Amino acid sequence: MHNHTNPVHSRLRLSGIFIIVGLVIQALSFLWNHPLSFIAFVTLGGLLLAIGIVLYLLTVVNMAANPPENADARPHAPHS
Amino acid sequence: MPTFLILAVLVITIILAGLVVARPALTVARGGKVLAFLAFFIFPVFAGLLGLENHMERSKQTSFCLTCHVMGQYGKSLYVDDSSYIPAAHFQNGRVPRDQACYTCHTDYTIFGTFSSKMKGLHHIYAQYVTKPQQPIKLYHPYNNRECLHCHDGSRSFEQGALHTAEPQTMADIKSNKLSCLSSGCHDTIHNVKELDHVKFWKPVQ
Repeated sequence: MHNHTNPVHSRLRLSGIFIIVGLVIQALSFLWNHPLSFIAFVTLGGLLLAIGIVLYLLTVVNMAANPPENADARPHAPHS
Repeated sequence: MPTFLILAVLVITIILAGLVVARPALTVARGGKVLAFLAFFIFPVFAGLLGLENHMERSKQTSFCLTCHVMGQYGKSLYVDDSSYIPAAHFQNGRVPRDQACYTCHTDYTIFGTFSSKMKGLHHIYAQYVTKPQQPIKLYHPYNNRECLHCHDGSRSFEQGALHTAEPQTMADIKSNKLSCLSSGCHDTIHNVKELDHVKFWKPVQ
């Protein structure tokens, strides 16, 4: 059964949302040829992207350092 | 890289990231982990770098510089119908790329010249929106001959110019920046924005 409260999944979701919002801002910045669009690209888009990527990497590092207890129950793991 | 390709990379990245956000359980499997790594790290970094490079190129455009109100008169001076106006003569005769006219003359032709120009550009944004631009607008440093010589050095009109070769020391002084190209009596009519109400303008053929 899918666990909706899995903290790793929650963190992945959060980092993904940061990344998506950052990318959307970066994409929108291309619609306007103006110095402020560059500022929006770097500060808003870049910052959100950086937060999302760092959050994702921290999640991966944490996961590697503290493997989940039910790691043996992964679908591809042979388990009787 | 064309903007539409960068937008395509951004959209693909958003779709991949959206897939992982919608179904984080995918990451339990090995393939899902690879997908998450691509969607949350490789593609966003790649798309961000491409976007940054594109924005850097766009910031070299004449139209980009002229979006600031205070630059309007300087843009207008490029159309003065008088060949003694150095920027106008360069712009109208294609001696500089018209779509990058400001950048071509106002960047520093040094190793970190482009970076230095971008830093100055950020300062200009700060001055435009936070403090107010100081009037009259002045260059940070006296104009360096290096920027002229980037194109003119070695050209026949420069090397064999009557005044440039009138005295043996003149050429050496120009090349070492001891004698400015913009010295009084030489190429001393630049943007001259205060006089724009009294000059004729060139109308390019559409």
